[in-house]
Amino acid sequence: MLEARTQSLCPVCLRRLDAFYVREGEAVFLCKTCPEHGEFKAPVWRDNGEVPLFADWRKGSRIPAYPARPAVEVRHGCPFDCGLCAEHAQHTCTGLIEVTQRCSLRCPICFARSGRSGHAPSPETIARQMDALFAASGSCNIQLSGGEPTEREDLPDIVAMAASRGFGLVQLNSNGLRLGTEENYARRLREAGLDSVYLQFDAVSDEVCLALRGRKCLDEKLAAIEACRDAGLGVVLVCTLVRGVNDGLLGDTLRWAVAQGQHVRGLHIQPVSSFGRFPWELEAAPRITLPEIMTALEVQSSGMVHAADFHAPSCEHSMCSFSAVYAREGEGLSAPIGAACCSGGSGVKVEDVQPQSIDNAEGSRISRAFTAAHWRNATQENTPSLHDAFSRFLSQSGTARRFTLSAMAFQDALSFDIERVRGCCIHVVHEDGRLVPFCAYNLTSLGGVSLYRGRP
Amino acid sequence: MALDPEFKPDHGDWLCAVCNVPLEQLKVQVFYMNSAFDVVLPRCPQCGMTLIPESLANGKMAEVEALLEDK
Repeated sequence: MLEARTQSLCPVCLRRLDAFYVREGEAVFLCKTCPEHGEFKAPVWRDNGEVPLFADWRKGSRIPAYPARPAVEVRHGCPFDCGLCAEHAQHTCTGLIEVTQRCSLRCPICFARSGRSGHAPSPETIARQMDALFAASGSCNIQLSGGEPTEREDLPDIVAMAASRGFGLVQLNSNGLRLGTEENYARRLREAGLDSVYLQFDAVSDEVCLALRGRKCLDEKLAAIEACRDAGLGVVLVCTLVRGVNDGLLGDTLRWAVAQGQHVRGLHIQPVSSFGRFPWELEAAPRITLPEIMTALEVQSSGMVHAADFHAPSCEHSMCSFSAVYAREGEGLSAPIGAACCSGGSGVKVEDVQPQSIDNAEGSRISRAFTAAHWRNATQENTPSLHDAFSRFLSQSGTARRFTLSAMAFQDALSFDIERVRGCCIHVVHEDGRLVPFCAYNLTSLGGVSLYRGRP
Repeated sequence: MALDPEFKPDHGDWLCAVCNVPLEQLKVQVFYMNSAFDVVLPRCPQCGMTLIPESLANGKMAEVEALLEDK
């Protein structure tokens, strides 16, 4: 049964193709046919059980926002003109800058295909990338990524460069090895202006580390979390989920993450995507879809969380993620209190008011005011009057008493949906300053050819 | 205790630039990331354009935003 239409790419030659979401029983597949390379299909939504149906979830609730000043012209059509172009339908929530391609690990799974050697842009290039990001997207959040950013000796200087430009949140994407082993390193980064660490953390298991990271490194990761706590850095645990490796440990990982305390702000689950380096044939990839993760969380957490808690994103495309924000209760969680975003952002919708009726300058001023206070206030305890809806919400969900649980499904050459790419709000900043949606940037064909990564 | 305490402009009397009428304190439902908040804000009675006072934008709304978006 046909559920929806979109466009995709041939996984072999990367030409644009019409694509169809087709239901077969309890699974929805993305199907496409290349006139040269034949038929392809991949499961994207398995909605058996008490989870949202594909058609209901896909509608979403997001509000498109087009670039105010498109950086590139539309010439070949999505996704071949990224920069962003005028047809891109979401602003930047998080801009990623890859500060090195080197890494202290060589994981069997790596979208960046990082290893012991690799290119690292000059500080001047990174400064230009940051300026280009700020010019295009204002005080969005910035994530320093790679490779492993801590491989650079000048990382504190780069953090300071980002902090001085006024980005809403300065976040480090890291495997945690250096944070966990070098004394005072986390504190140095904090003092340079770092707000948050996006920490690779797949399970509380050295066997899982060995399988997914190529060596046992749990102790370093645990030490990294403690170092971040001591330095006053918030930590988001980022779990790459692989069927048959750590999908059965989701409940344990969640309980452990919550029990760490308020410095662990959330658990973010990324079902593994087959781009860059991965140890299987693309068409035999062990795919696990978002509703399967919802079910696994409910079942394995013994009712700590429920599939019904999760919301579709209001920022990125609905098919890309789910999330819930919970109030903490002891070492557990109580009721869900809302939904999270891919990361920061600054939009607010007032009922019955058309966006164009708000003067642009005033809208921009409100946005800046919002993001200026984004993280600083988040660490303060609130003493609300309880007289209004905002205060009542704050009293129920004080910073120290909340936990975010979220998942994001990346796209590869089989699951690539151009509509999802157009709705993406996570943008990699190319060295020449163009902004490229994350999945378009990292996409590789069956033969390993990239659309954007490593290309001029 | 008032059920719907008002958030008034931080200073001055405000006119809607489009309709040229004074803003009134009206009940507004603000939506953000699947959460709804009922508050009373200065609003144009004709076109609905709503003013969010600076103190509210920098204060409670920013805190609520941080809570909802944090990850």
